[in-house]
Amino acid sequence: MKKTFIIVINVVIMASILIFVVLYSRAESRDSYRSQIEHFEDTTVTMERVTGNYLESEQRICDIWAHYINNKTMTMEEAAAYIRSSHVLENTSAHLISLDTLTGLSTRPKQGTDDDYAVSYERVELLKKVDWIDEIGKSINITRAYTNPMNGEQSLAFCNIVKLRDQESDASREAVLLRVIPISVLEQKWVFPQTELVNAELSMIDSNGDYILKGDNFKNASFFEFYKSYNPTDPESSGKLFDRITSSTGSVSMINSHKQECILAFTPVSATVGWTMLGLVPAKDLNTGTENWLLVGVVSAGLLILFLADLLYILYFNKRLQIAAKEAESANKAKTDFLSTMSHDIRTPMNAIIGLTTIAEKNLGDVEATGESLRKISLASNHLLTLINDILDISKVESGKLKLSPLTFSIVETVENLVTVSQPMIKEKNIEFSFNTNQMEKEYLYTDQLRLNQIYINILSNAIKYTEPGGRVSVDMHQEKSDKPGCVKLTYTVADTGIGMSPEYMENMYQPFSRQIDSRVNSIQGTGLGLAITKQMVDLLGGTIECQSELGKGTTFTVVLDIPEADRQREDMQLDSVDVLIVDDDEYMLQTTVDIIESLGASAEQAQNGLEALGMIEHRHLSGRDYDAVIIDWRMPEIDGLETIRRIRAEIDADIPILLISAYDWSDIEEKAKEAGANAFVSKPLFRSTLYDKINDLIGKESRSIEPEDDYSDLEGLHILIAEDNDVNWEIISAILAMYGITTDRAENGRICVDMMREAAKGSYELIFMDVQMPEMNGLDATRAIRKLEDSWASSIPIVAMTADAFSENVMECLDAGMNGHIAKPVDIKLVIKEIRRIKDGGGQL
Amino acid sequence: MKKIMCMFLAVLMILSLAACGSEKQESTAEEGFSPSLDTSTDCHITVAGGYDNFEALEAEFDSFNEFYPNVELTFTKVDDYNNMIGMVLDGNDAPDIYVNYSWMYGRDQYKSSIDHAEDLADTALGLDLDCIRSNIILNTEDGSLPMVPVFANTYGMLVNNDLFEKEGLSVPKTYKELVDVCAAFREKGYENPMMGFSKEETTSLYTLTAYPIFCETVADDAEAVKKLNALDASAGEYMRPALERMLQFLNDGCVDIDNCAKIEDNYEAVILRFFEGDVPMMFCSGDTVSGTKKRESRSEAFIASPFTYTFAPVPVSDDGAIFLDMPNLQFSVNKDSANLDMANEFMRFLITSQELNNMAQSKGIMSPTKDLSFNSMYAAFGDVPESRILSPEVIGLTDDAVLQMRQANYGVGTGEMTIDEAIGRYGTFTK
Repeated sequence: MKKTFIIVINVVIMASILIFVVLYSRAESRDSYRSQIEHFEDTTVTMERVTGNYLESEQRICDIWAHYINNKTMTMEEAAAYIRSSHVLENTSAHLISLDTLTGLSTRPKQGTDDDYAVSYERVELLKKVDWIDEIGKSINITRAYTNPMNGEQSLAFCNIVKLRDQESDASREAVLLRVIPISVLEQKWVFPQTELVNAELSMIDSNGDYILKGDNFKNASFFEFYKSYNPTDPESSGKLFDRITSSTGSVSMINSHKQECILAFTPVSATVGWTMLGLVPAKDLNTGTENWLLVGVVSAGLLILFLADLLYILYFNKRLQIAAKEAESANKAKTDFLSTMSHDIRTPMNAIIGLTTIAEKNLGDVEATGESLRKISLASNHLLTLINDILDISKVESGKLKLSPLTFSIVETVENLVTVSQPMIKEKNIEFSFNTNQMEKEYLYTDQLRLNQIYINILSNAIKYTEPGGRVSVDMHQEKSDKPGCVKLTYTVADTGIGMSPEYMENMYQPFSRQIDSRVNSIQGTGLGLAITKQMVDLLGGTIECQSELGKGTTFTVVLDIPEADRQREDMQLDSVDVLIVDDDEYMLQTTVDIIESLGASAEQAQNGLEALGMIEHRHLSGRDYDAVIIDWRMPEIDGLETIRRIRAEIDADIPILLISAYDWSDIEEKAKEAGANAFVSKPLFRSTLYDKINDLIGKESRSIEPEDDYSDLEGLHILIAEDNDVNWEIISAILAMYGITTDRAENGRICVDMMREAAKGSYELIFMDVQMPEMNGLDATRAIRKLEDSWASSIPIVAMTADAFSENVMECLDAGMNGHIAKPVDIKLVIKEIRRIKDGGGQL
Repeated sequence: MKKIMCMFLAVLMILSLAACGSEKQESTAEEGFSPSLDTSTDCHITVAGGYDNFEALEAEFDSFNEFYPNVELTFTKVDDYNNMIGMVLDGNDAPDIYVNYSWMYGRDQYKSSIDHAEDLADTALGLDLDCIRSNIILNTEDGSLPMVPVFANTYGMLVNNDLFEKEGLSVPKTYKELVDVCAAFREKGYENPMMGFSKEETTSLYTLTAYPIFCETVADDAEAVKKLNALDASAGEYMRPALERMLQFLNDGCVDIDNCAKIEDNYEAVILRFFEGDVPMMFCSGDTVSGTKKRESRSEAFIASPFTYTFAPVPVSDDGAIFLDMPNLQFSVNKDSANLDMANEFMRFLITSQELNNMAQSKGIMSPTKDLSFNSMYAAFGDVPESRILSPEVIGLTDDAVLQMRQANYGVGTGEMTIDEAIGRYGTFTK
């Protein structure tokens, strides 16, 4: 209804504009036409004046002759001789006609003769009555067009009555002097001067409408008859019109013999009495199409195009609105679904936490049962935390607020972290795991490490989650040359032998909350946001993610990212004259490691199993050329890495530096490795820098035993200032740190924290854990204030954010404010300890 | 939407019909006349004649312009036409087409008018001469055809049909019927059952009564024609039947000569008298008939009481009427015309039954074509059997011989002489 209304309005507006343009154009045309008619009238009046002047001048000549003839009382012959002598125009002649006989003399001989001057007007109905000829000099006396009896030419004549002397009787007799002019001569002069009036014709009529001079387009013997023949009229109207025509100047429209509309202009001939000059021109010659049809056409076309464009735009807009409405509806439904899903997914772990807490409270006496409940509460809490983080991430991504915070980082650390994080699950599910790297030449890259970690961890954790126990997960990472200048192409491939995905599911697998409907999947905890976030992150980083999967056979995800190289790279890694034996049953791994060792300038030999290694070590030992270091893989057939180390220590050399490598969690074999005599441990994959550092450590610290990771004695006695407004959070963090022998002071807000630092003695605190959102002064302002303190110790004290503001931009804000690190709440105590150690070891010095 | 569709279809239908209409017009034009020259030809064709104006011909100009829009055609009146046309043809204003008369054949003073004429019998010109009655196509002795008739003439009577209808009488077919009808009208109070011009011998009622009988008398007698043309005094006897019938007619009480004498001329006065509405029959020529239409508006009596009228042959013979078929206006093409092709093209356009009939009807004069039924005014002449159609030109009587007959006839009619005296004076009459 509305669309129809709009179309109708448009059409009405278009029609109105067109009507206006047409009417305006017609009005202009009418004005122009009227102006042309007036111009034609003026031209006719001008022609009347010209004609009048011509007639008067011709009549004057005739008058002069007549005067002369009368004054001299000439005979006809004398008069003819006189005129002949004064007559110079070739085409004109003069006739002297006796009124008695209507015969006389011509000044020029008859056609076809040389001396026959006799002329007769007896049979020319012209001079039988001569009362129309006025006295000499009084008026123009002109005949109608008639046939010159001397030559047959159509002519007209200016006349005067003259008195001639009869040669025989000497008596005076009257004669008519005719100055005869051919019509053809007159026609040459008697044309409209303007080219646009080329079709216009003139006529001259007397008071009865009879033609005196007649243009070709004027028909009939009388103009009045001509008018009545082709223009229907009644006697009264035509009488009035003819009176008007013969008495005034003006114009009328009439139809000519060709049924054309013509304009008749009329004006009295002032030089005569009762004569009227008529001009007749086809109306179309005056109405020269000044109606600007081009303008009308262009306006019409323009309006039509505009109308169609508007129509199409409205249709397009409506379609967009429909799509937007559907999207809004869909979004609304998605929101409802989201809330429903969230409600379910949050309530599930919360149910576990609350339920297990209740169970634990009731079983406080039963240490084992309470411990089990607390372990499960911890698991549920972690899941809840992951869910919340994912929700926040996806909401930020979808709202477009997620921004990258690039910084220089080590891909080696990233991979190590990846392996570390995934180890517990791998161990739990007893999954065969391998992590291969190749061509990892650029260790330091420049991108948002947090997001990169998210991508890698999400994919790897999914692979592990959806792989049945006993299955296999393999990770491959390699660098290639990128097409983008200053970048490396980092390819990350995770392949598993898990449950796989159906093609139908794969079509929507990147949609939030999409989880495959599968009884096995339902038993696995997940938010359904992981892949959605991963895809968004990959897009954000300008990369690609591909997936091949088959139900029941497994899935392979490949992420390719072009990541800028960091300015800083470790270029000086060279091992001097080091002789290394590498023992691994994985030929690919073996060769990769040999290549890395050799690229570091060391020499490397390889053994594919423990026994071969034992033989080679023994052979070297006996020959006095012990290897400088031995790198042994843990899991090998026949005898594993630990057994091999044990035999080396027992049978060959108790001091040779041995580096144990494994793709599995170090904690599982830590005790056994230490007992077997391993000097150090490194996780697969092996990076150039990792191997460089480890081998250097082995060579520099002979037989140094592996330090246990749960030795926190280095932390004892540390004193930390914690700015935390929330009492519970303060209690938790202070209690946890106290477990590691760390003492703490509390500042309830940022201002107190600043004041305490201003008052504190030098070295009072090792670092500050700073909450961000606090009353009076927030953590960021407090940090800035501390950095401005005069005391150099106080102003340079390490400050680590400990805040629930966990997004990367929050991290950047903290660092920008002058902080040295960031720990997100809820706090992971391992990360807290790691951060403290990093600060303590100088990583946090300003 | 339906309305828009209906409007659209209506416009489409109108356009389609218009297209069909225009196609039909084109096909009609194609059937009539097909131009053989470049239709964009730009030239000026002049037709010369003695008429003051020639509106019927100008209408044909307009029709011709539909095919040749750039050809300008004009009619020019030549004063003292018969005497001047030769000079005009020799001069600077020589027309392309001109009016000619077959009576000029063989006369030296009109030689130029004949000599300038193109031979229109040439079939290459494509003129449809078959549409014209053969009686009035007059070749020269050498067989050429310098002119073709565009109008025909005859003698007859204007008949007030309303009066005949009103009085329950029929238009007479024989002389006896004529006398009876006149008597009947007289009985019904009509003072003048018949009238006619009587002041001069030309087209006088005397001539119009006697001339058909005279032609009938000598039509098949070459010897008589020869004698008459030679103005042989003995040939006067051939006039006797005509003179006797004329005198009988006067004596039979059909006309009142005194009243007829009041008619001043043989043209306008005749027409206006007839329009008075009280004369059932009026002698006149075809030329006079052509002036009736225009003069209807000049007659107060006719405007007040209009009536229908036709032109019919006068049944002067006992066997019925004699149709004297004569050419009136004939056209020649100036063979020296600067635009000879276009002049011939115009003649090809004009000399068709349709255009000649159009022009004759427009002029109100008798058409030269074989079909006279198209015009009710002259339709009665189409009913005259061919055996009673006579052409003075075909008979071969010269103007001089006819003049002698007219003078004699007039003398007898006006009572100036007896029949015998008139016959005796044959060959001696002067104008």
